Amino acid sequence: MLQKPHLSLVAPVSDVGGRELLTIEALFSAYSGYVATLAARLLGSGDAEVDDVVQDVFWLASRRMAKIPDLVQGRGWLATVTTRVVGRKLLRRRFRALFHASQGGGNVPARGATAEERAILTRLYEVLDGLPTQARLAWSLRYLEGEPLDAVASACGCSLATAKRRVAAAKSVIDEVFRDD
Amino acid sequence: MTDRKWGDLAKKIESGWGPERERAARVGLDHRAATRRVAMGVLVSVAALAFAAGATGAFMHWRTHEATNTVSLAPSATPLGGAVETVTVTRLSPETVLEAMPEHHGRGFELRAGGARFSAPHDAAHPFVVVASDVVVEDIGTTFTVQYLPGDKLQVAVEQGRVKVRMHGTETEIAAGDSLELALLPAALAKPRGKGGPAVASWRPLAEKGQYDEAHAALTKAGPNAVRDETADLLLAADVARLGGYPAEAVPYLERVLRAHASDPRSGLASFTLGRVLLDELGRPGEAAEAFARARAGGGPLAEDALAREVEAASRAGDVTRSRELAREYQAKYPHGRRAKAVSRFGGLD
Repeated sequence: MLQKPHLSLVAPVSDVGGRELLTIEALFSAYSGYVATLAARLLGSGDAEVDDVVQDVFWLASRRMAKIPDLVQGRGWLATVTTRVVGRKLLRRRFRALFHASQGGGNVPARGATAEERAILTRLYEVLDGLPTQARLAWSLRYLEGEPLDAVASACGCSLATAKRRVAAAKSVIDEVFRDD
Repeated sequence: MTDRKWGDLAKKIESGWGPERERAARVGLDHRAATRRVAMGVLVSVAALAFAAGATGAFMHWRTHEATNTVSLAPSATPLGGAVETVTVTRLSPETVLEAMPEHHGRGFELRAGGARFSAPHDAAHPFVVVASDVVVEDIGTTFTVQYLPGDKLQVAVEQGRVKVRMHGTETEIAAGDSLELALLPAALAKPRGKGGPAVASWRPLAEKGQYDEAHAALTKAGPNAVRDETADLLLAADVARLGGYPAEAVPYLERVLRAHASDPRSGLASFTLGRVLLDELGRPGEAAEAFARARAGGGPLAEDALAREVEAASRAGDVTRSRELAREYQAKYPHGRRAKAVSRFGGLD
């Protein structure tokens, strides 16, 4: 009778040792442009607000580096933080609008857009300004950023069902407004 | 509009992110980090201070209670009525120097420094006595406090009962709730007091070792007569005062050097130091300018600095003409002077 070879269980090789420690510098270099673009699309506004968001996001990142496993996963983490920071900014903007202290959006940074596209974008952000912030963010991530629903849920910090509900709520309003376009 | 079209349209939205804004964001982040470091530093300092204050408070509380316990004395003579009553003495500060007077059998103390609270049952046959400098406090059944105050003063405050205070043949009674402040004679402060004498005169070695806080405390206890009327001693006392954190107290010592020892080669140094104290510590630029003028009048190595500081003092005193005049004089005398820049600034020659 053939004897079975002696087998022993070996722990999987850890890749931690070979991984370089992620630095805020590397994260900033890789993703500051992405964060700025995402912020611009979520806010629908120009330079100053976007700069604030970028600073806030990377400031938070610098204090939470331990939570970011590597550069690849850093993108998703930054998207979540950017969504939250923009959410707070939108709420503040709405609050200020109550006292007529803010004009809201209206200055969509779309330099390469045609006049017609610019008009559509301006109208879109007017509609988005009227939507609940969470629904607005979910819809923007889904349709402007093209993120899948699970990524939307993750970025918005809600369940998949909630994300779907928020996207659907915003979509129904936007579809209604732009039905004839 | 189709869902896909929104994605295409969104691609037209550009943040305009570029190297310049990236650099600005980095600067902003650095600034935040620096602010946070400062804030954390302040927070840590405040916490450390609070902890230190708490620890000091607890220590002082412990010390006070310990002191109370250790010096509670059973009177050597049984009081009238035969009940055993105790004399309680509480030192009010760590600097308190208190000695029992043996001839009073536990009912007499000499207060040499600091302050103490006494609680003693009245005994007509054996009055409880506290001697402080040339003041004698005698109780008539009471709790009272005797404490040296700055400026050669002594305070006697009565909580319960009454005390008699004798000083130079006059006698005053103080009732509960009252207090009396007495001006002590310098001669009485400076006179030798048995074993306590060296402790009172110990400011000099402390000053020479650079322990100015302790030296100042010792000098305050010892009184002004503990400083000899010699240039070296007066300058040392002035150092004790200003480096111990009491610059105003340095002024009389320095002025005494200028008045009584004007011919001493160190009088220029005294004058310069006086100018610095008046200008930097006491904010009296007009008088400082006069002191610097005296300091440079004698020439010597301090003359250049004295002239430069005189320009600054005149400028701070608002005497623009004088400061400009002095600044020109400085430029003429010391064209490559090491304080030329400051002189030009204060003299308005920039």
